[in-house]
Amino acid sequence: MTDFGAIDALLAGARKEVALPPAEERRTLREELNLSRPQLAQALGVSPSTVAGWESGRDPSGEVRERYAYFLQGAKTKLAAAAMATFEDVGDEEPQEAPGSDAEPAAGQDDDVDVLVVPQPCVLCGQLARHQVAGFPQHLDPAECAAPGTPQPAAPAVSAPTASVSAAPAPARPAAARGGQGVRIVAAGRRVQPEDAEPDLIRQTVTQVLAQHAGDVEAATAALVKRAIPDVMALLDHTRKGGRYDIVAHPWLPDILRKQSARGADQIWEARPKWTRPELPAGAHEVTALDINGAYLSALKTHLPIGQLEHSTGNHHDRRRAGVHLITPPVWDHDTVLPNPIGNRDEPGPLWVTEPTLRLLLRLAGPKYGLCDPPEIHESWTSGATEGLLEKLRVVLKHARDRAIGEGDDVTLEYVKQMYSKFVSTLGESNYNRELYRTDWMHLIRSQAFTNLWWKAHRAYDEGLMVVRAMGTDELHLIGDWRTVFPEGRGVTEVKVKDVYTVGSDRNQTDTAPGSPS
Amino acid sequence: MPERNIEFGKYGARGLKGHEAVARQLDALAGYIATPVTARRGLMARLHYLTRTDHARAAARAAGLTVTDRTLRAWLDGARSPSRKNLERIEQAYRTVRRENVARYLTARLNREGRGTRVEIHPLNQSQVDRPRQRVVEFRTLNVRRWDRIVAAWAADDDRALDDAWIDQVVDLGSQWGQYEYVTNVGFAA
Repeated sequence: MTDFGAIDALLAGARKEVALPPAEERRTLREELNLSRPQLAQALGVSPSTVAGWESGRDPSGEVRERYAYFLQGAKTKLAAAAMATFEDVGDEEPQEAPGSDAEPAAGQDDDVDVLVVPQPCVLCGQLARHQVAGFPQHLDPAECAAPGTPQPAAPAVSAPTASVSAAPAPARPAAARGGQGVRIVAAGRRVQPEDAEPDLIRQTVTQVLAQHAGDVEAATAALVKRAIPDVMALLDHTRKGGRYDIVAHPWLPDILRKQSARGADQIWEARPKWTRPELPAGAHEVTALDINGAYLSALKTHLPIGQLEHSTGNHHDRRRAGVHLITPPVWDHDTVLPNPIGNRDEPGPLWVTEPTLRLLLRLAGPKYGLCDPPEIHESWTSGATEGLLEKLRVVLKHARDRAIGEGDDVTLEYVKQMYSKFVSTLGESNYNRELYRTDWMHLIRSQAFTNLWWKAHRAYDEGLMVVRAMGTDELHLIGDWRTVFPEGRGVTEVKVKDVYTVGSDRNQTDTAPGSPS
Repeated sequence: MPERNIEFGKYGARGLKGHEAVARQLDALAGYIATPVTARRGLMARLHYLTRTDHARAAARAAGLTVTDRTLRAWLDGARSPSRKNLERIEQAYRTVRRENVARYLTARLNREGRGTRVEIHPLNQSQVDRPRQRVVEFRTLNVRRWDRIVAAWAADDDRALDDAWIDQVVDLGSQWGQYEYVTNVGFAA
């Protein structure tokens, strides 16, 4: 039954794109109704800068486009009728059926019920419905709705009890919120709750700052960049609620992780790649410089030590622990085609590497790859490890990033970028972030980013491409048809083209070169 | 073990007194000049700090740098260099004056207008204790709201007062506070 509901929802969702009035008219319509951008943005569930974008020529797409079209259509009819403007806000428009009034008018009301001008098929049962909730046409009365066996999830905990009494459609809403594809839920104590019930700190902050700066995008971005570090620490605290492990901010650290002097470095080698292929075959080659999106964001998923680092000696690696290791790296014979996994280190002898680098070396030494000998481990400072410590933070930031890209919201995108990059760079002994002194995590996360880049280089090599350079955290230069290997785009699993250039010249040209007058 | 330890380390536990760890962390937050006083650069930096104003000179004198102005000028010009004993005095005076100067701001930052600062207490090291004698001592955190006494005792370099002020806070950990008289590390930020 629910399968058919999902199909119906899909069919209902597959509509032609509605036409929108021209950009200048959109703004006039909104202003004549005395609505501010944040107000409209809240009703539509997007950020104010997005609305600003639509009013200056950009076009929304998908569901949000229909909602926006509906708003504009409604505004137009309202102005045309020139009736007594009794409503101040589209969000406050109440359906006739709703008896009584809500305890909290606009702030607490998150299910925005609208009356449809033209009846549209209900996302639950497929019959024509005259109302929509949060942009999804549906029946308000479950008796009217012909979809039997609709799951009746508990009403979201945030809405006031009076609201759930007065608004009969509340039970149907969470199921509809994802177009019938199911509700994303998260653990909350002993129960689960819909993900929407959790406050979206990032969006709240962006909306608030934009409202403070009256929609001035540049000023708001600057303000958000300034508060990125405290905000990401608050977000970290928020995402660790109910977590299994405490985040220890000021652990005792061994001397190798302490800076030798105020400006000096500690003894950890992060294995940053800086490799250029020594030679290319003759002829002209078109090299593409690729940029890995959000390299440090992805690197937040790594094995991080939880407790105090403990010392151990001997050539033994425990997969359940993570930390830093003193190793003698193996000889690397593939420098002509692939970068050395420990980066370009000139100094011979043992060196302190981090967990990701060691795991990379061990994996390469394993039977599957067999690219080098196993490294020899002399000493280790390790502790029990988990990959899940920053996982929720990573997922929250990734969702925010994806959504910002989808909506063309540059303010949120820049804010999220600042949050994760500054989190990684100030994780250690930074004066800009004194809440966390985890030099060990900082090294591990950076190394993980470098390791991820190394694996991308290896994958390209494996698929028959020619790797020309691997540099820094996120730069990879390739020759060949890389589109078959890496998808292009802005998501964290995709790559972005930074530059395309040509190296060398064709044999014919070099032959004719001496003959040409020069 | 509700009270202070009598014979700490008898069975091989290792750690340092809580107030020593606090003093160490406060020292780290105070940010002294990194170059040692034995290097010319470090010596000059300290002398400049101690002679910048009349107030600083008076504070340095009170802190035990009782040399004449003529000598100070000779040191600053490089005409003479201080003896080893005087180098120690300069270092001592510098640390005292620096602590006094920083104390006011450090207190304000740690108190955070009454909200206090979260302090992490890392328990003592039992790795050298026989297995049967080892006890479960957990990592604890504590919000310290009033730092005035702690910072004042640290600024005055008064170990005993600092110990008392710190124990007054640690008692809030509950009946097991004696387990946290000795620690591996005390971590907090300002």
